[in-house]
Amino acid sequence: MAAIGSAIGLGNVWRFPYIAYTNGGGAFLIPYFVALFTAGIPMLILEFSVGHWSRHGAPESFKKIGKKWEWVGWWAALVPFVIVTYYIVVMAWCFSYLIYSLDLRWGLNAESFFVSDFLSLTTGPLEIGGIRIPILLSLLVVWFLVFLILYKGVGRIGKVVMITVPLPWILLLILAIRGLTLPGALEGISYYLTPNFSKLSDLNVWLAAYAQVFFSVGIAQGIMISYASHLQKKSDISNNAFIVALADSGTSFLAGFAVFSVIGYLAMSQGIGIEHLGIAGPQLAFITYPTAISLFPVATIVFGILFYLSLLTFGIDSAFSMIEPMTIGIQQKWRITKGKATAIICLVGFIASLLFTTGSGLYWLDILDYFFSRFGLVLVGLIECLVLAWVFRVAFFREHANKTSDILIGRWWDVLIKYVVPAILTILLLAAVYENVLKPYVQPWWVVLLGGVTPCVAIFFAACILMKQKTKKEETS
Amino acid sequence: MNGLPLSALVMLIFGAAICYGGITYFLYRAFKARYK
Repeated sequence: MAAIGSAIGLGNVWRFPYIAYTNGGGAFLIPYFVALFTAGIPMLILEFSVGHWSRHGAPESFKKIGKKWEWVGWWAALVPFVIVTYYIVVMAWCFSYLIYSLDLRWGLNAESFFVSDFLSLTTGPLEIGGIRIPILLSLLVVWFLVFLILYKGVGRIGKVVMITVPLPWILLLILAIRGLTLPGALEGISYYLTPNFSKLSDLNVWLAAYAQVFFSVGIAQGIMISYASHLQKKSDISNNAFIVALADSGTSFLAGFAVFSVIGYLAMSQGIGIEHLGIAGPQLAFITYPTAISLFPVATIVFGILFYLSLLTFGIDSAFSMIEPMTIGIQQKWRITKGKATAIICLVGFIASLLFTTGSGLYWLDILDYFFSRFGLVLVGLIECLVLAWVFRVAFFREHANKTSDILIGRWWDVLIKYVVPAILTILLLAAVYENVLKPYVQPWWVVLLGGVTPCVAIFFAACILMKQKTKKEETS
Repeated sequence: MNGLPLSALVMLIFGAAICYGGITYFLYRAFKARYK
């Protein structure tokens, strides 16, 4: 359940529908499912198997594979920890907007409200601006909530996910049903699902499908290794991997209906084409959707509350799952209590999040997200795959998974993990480098260096330093 | 527009069958194994 909650996050609502729409509509489902079955599920089985075998978090698991590979585990734990520092700020925005929904504070111009009144966006990343107090207060609430969930350990997480996994699903279902009853909704759905099969011959569409699966399922972040370490000895590894991956896909698919039905309604109400509306990322959640909510004929406030509550509950279990690998890592390394490890990590995370509460927060969030999703995660996934498949014996993990699984995995899985997945990740990485050489992400170049490249390199060195630290056991011996 | 184009409807059924059919099947297996 916790792994499902971790896999399903904000990206399912604001990324998948947009990616599907721009990559062939309904036809995108074909490369998407191919990617899911050839990369997403095999990688999930691998990570579940590693965690289940080692009974430890990512750093200790890699240490068990070979002492010199511990840094891979730390790296895998550090990447989601950096991501969560800005991910939680987006949740803080959702929390603020949940309160604003009570009086539809964004008024008739949601864009101006979001950019000027709410964010006080500066002219560029170098003009930092002051800390926005409403965002800071919401941030405090969200971090405190995450701390409360995590500090008691896996028992409390188990109880929390019993609510935070089904609740957003129910809310999303209500949103989709309500959206589908609005005028213009079918026009929106038709944009979402009408297939353009000619796109299937485009390599970029296939890369987009693999990237979507890779980021959405939550692999290469140490999360699934950590969660699998708590699985019972007899847990069915393969079946669990299929359930997590398909629950994630099912949520993304459903989210498309909630998003595109409302977009169709908004396009019809304003007499403009759907292609002119922001349908991805923060633009969807904080500009397009609030605008549509304001135009609803009835129950505007209820709809606003349902939408932001669903985003918050979708995000919360992803957020604490991104913190968990780091917490488990330091807890196991220095043998400190779970509460102490959680307090340290949450405090460091909160301080790091402060940058994103400033007037330039959105710029830095965008730069970090761009580099960590395109380079950080892919690089970790690639190295993880190479170490587990080439340095260690991939067949060992297949045999381990088969010991407890009903569905037995064949040698085809070894081929996928050894050759197919690393090849796809290498292509994704090279495509991202090529894209940046052709057209650098933001100017000037040293902002890219400061905001994107430096943190990616810094966490690599941080992982190496953490590996070199002696454990309490090693100090006493 | 009066309704969804047939091709969109086919993709809807295709997506729903894999996602929800798949998850139902694997959940059924999990429950069957648990209460065996």
